[in-house]
Amino acid sequence: MSWRNELLAVWAVTLRNALMGARNVFFFFELLFWPIVGVLSIGLMSRFLELTEAQASFVLVGTIALSVVNVCQLEVAYAVLLDVWSKSLKHQFLAPIGIRHLTLGSWVVGMVRSLAVFVLLAALGRWAFGFHVLQPGWFALAMFLLGCFLTAWVVGVAVCALITLFGNRAEAFAWATVNMVLVLAGIYYPISVLPDSIAAIARAIPLTYFLDAYRSHYGFASEFRAPIATGLALSALYAALAHWAFLAAIHRARRTGLLLKMSE
Amino acid sequence: MVSFLGMLAIDARDVEKTFRSGWPRRRETQALRGVSLTVERGAIVGVLGPNGAGKTTLLSILATLLTPDRGTVMVLGHDVVREAGALRRRLNMASGRPSFLWSLRVAEIIAFYGRLYGLSGAALRRRVDGLIELCELGPYRRVPYSDLSTGLKQRVALAKSLVNDPELLFLDEPTLGLDPDVSVRVRAHIARLRREQGITIVLTTHYMREADELCDEIAFIKGGRILARGTPGELKRQIRLGEVIALRLDPARVPWLAEIPGVLRCVELDGWVECTVDEAEKRLPELLRALHADGVVIRNVQVREPELEEVFVELAK
Repeated sequence: MSWRNELLAVWAVTLRNALMGARNVFFFFELLFWPIVGVLSIGLMSRFLELTEAQASFVLVGTIALSVVNVCQLEVAYAVLLDVWSKSLKHQFLAPIGIRHLTLGSWVVGMVRSLAVFVLLAALGRWAFGFHVLQPGWFALAMFLLGCFLTAWVVGVAVCALITLFGNRAEAFAWATVNMVLVLAGIYYPISVLPDSIAAIARAIPLTYFLDAYRSHYGFASEFRAPIATGLALSALYAALAHWAFLAAIHRARRTGLLLKMSE
Repeated sequence: MVSFLGMLAIDARDVEKTFRSGWPRRRETQALRGVSLTVERGAIVGVLGPNGAGKTTLLSILATLLTPDRGTVMVLGHDVVREAGALRRRLNMASGRPSFLWSLRVAEIIAFYGRLYGLSGAALRRRVDGLIELCELGPYRRVPYSDLSTGLKQRVALAKSLVNDPELLFLDEPTLGLDPDVSVRVRAHIARLRREQGITIVLTTHYMREADELCDEIAFIKGGRILARGTPGELKRQIRLGEVIALRLDPARVPWLAEIPGVLRCVELDGWVECTVDEAEKRLPELLRALHADGVVIRNVQVREPELEEVFVELAK
C-alpha cells in the first residue's frame, strides 16, 4: 500500500468519526457536560476542604487528565464501537483497511476533541479556581498532553481488542477500563499513598509518570527519576502490545465468525 | 461483453467450517462439510439452499470475512487466508440486510468506502456521483442513512459494493424485502454489470425466479454440502421432476387423463389442467389424440419445464 493510500484510509476514518461526532447528541455530553461537571465539583470540593493552592492544582490536574484521557480513548474505541452499534463491522473489514488506519484515524479525532475539552477546562479552572495550566511552561504542558493522548490510545485500542474478542457484551469495557486505569494512576493522589501491591501496578501505567512530571511544577517533588522518558517507553511498549492484541482479536473474530455475528 | 472464458474466478476445494459456541458446554455447528466450488470469470453463479444450509458461510469465506478450517480457497488467483489484503481490493459485497453508520448521508457513505479503496479528489467525486446516478439515489444523496427506506438502504449497499469497480461481487440476497418494481430494476442492473463490465457475480437468493433469470449456474447447498449444481435447465432435468403440459379444455374436467401411460400426475389450477409427464415431446401427441378421440375440445396448450422452485423443494427435502 502506498503512503498516499495509507493517509487516505486514515483520513477516511478521521472524517467519518468527525461527522458522526458532529451529528450525535451523546458526543456533546461527552465533550462538554461531564468534563465541566467534573472540574466544577472537584474545584468546589477543594475550596470547601480549604486545600492550599498547590493541593487544589494537584487534584484539578487529575480531573482535567481524567476528562482528556476519557474523551480521547472513547473516540479511539469508536473505531470499532460505531460499527458494532450500526452493525456495519463486516463492511469495514471487507475493505482493504488495517487496524492502524482505524485506530490512527479515530485517535486524530480523539486528540482534537480532547484538546478542545482541555482548553475549555483550563479556561474554566483559571476563571473559577485560579488554576493556571501554563504555570509549568509549554514543554511540560505538551508532554502532559502527549502522555494523556498516548494513554488514551493504548486504552482505546485495548478496548477495541476486548470488544472484538468478546462481542457486544464487552461494550462496558469502553467506559470502565479507562476509569480503572485512571484510579490506579493516582488521579487525585500521589501513588505513594497506595498499598505496595497496588502502587506496583500504578508504576506500570504510563500516565502515572506524566501526571507526576506535570505536577512536579506545582510544588510536588517527583517520585521518579526520569518520569517522561519512563512514561514514553512504557507507552511505546503498551502501544505495541495493544496493537498486537487488536490484530489477534480480529484474526480470532474472522475464525470464530464473531465478525459476522456482530454485523447481524 | 468482456470475456474471460475458461479462467477461474473462484476455485474452492474441500472447504470445511465449524462454529463453536457456548460455555461451559460447547456446541458445535458444522456449517460447511467439504464444499468444492469453481466459478468461471464473468459468470453469475447462484448459491441456493434452505436457511442454515451454509450459503452465507460460504460467501463469507470467499469474501475473506471468515477463515476456513480446512480446504484451499483461491479467489482471483489469491489465497483467501494468506493474500486476503491484496484480494480485498478486487472484490466487494452487498447484503440484503444492509447496515451503515446511521448519521452518515448517502453520498458520505459511498465516499467513505471510496477513500478506503484509494479514491480521492475529483476521481472520488466522479465515482460517488456515478454510483448515485446508477442506483437512482439522486434525490437522497444528502439524506442520513437512518432516514432511508429498506429499498433505498439496499440501493446504498449496492452502490457501496461497486465503489472499487470490483472484479468479483458477492450479493447476499440482493433483493430481499424490495418492492417488485425495484427488484426488477436491481436484477436488470446485476445482469448489466456482468454484460458490460464482465464482473463475476456470486449471489445467494431465496427467490427462485431471480436465480432462474440471472444465473448461468446454480449450486444447491444443504447441510453444508453442495447437493447439485448446473445450469437451471440441467438441474431441472437432473432432478427428474418431469415436464408440465398445461391444457385448457372443454369440458374442464377430464378424470381419466392421469391414467394415460407416462403421465405422472394431473392437477387443476385456475381453469387449467396441468399434467406432469416424463417426456413432453413424446406424451403431448398421445394426450392430444386421446382427448380428441373422447370429443374434448382443446382451447389452449402450453408446455413448460418445472419451476426452479420445485427443484429447490425437491432438493431441500
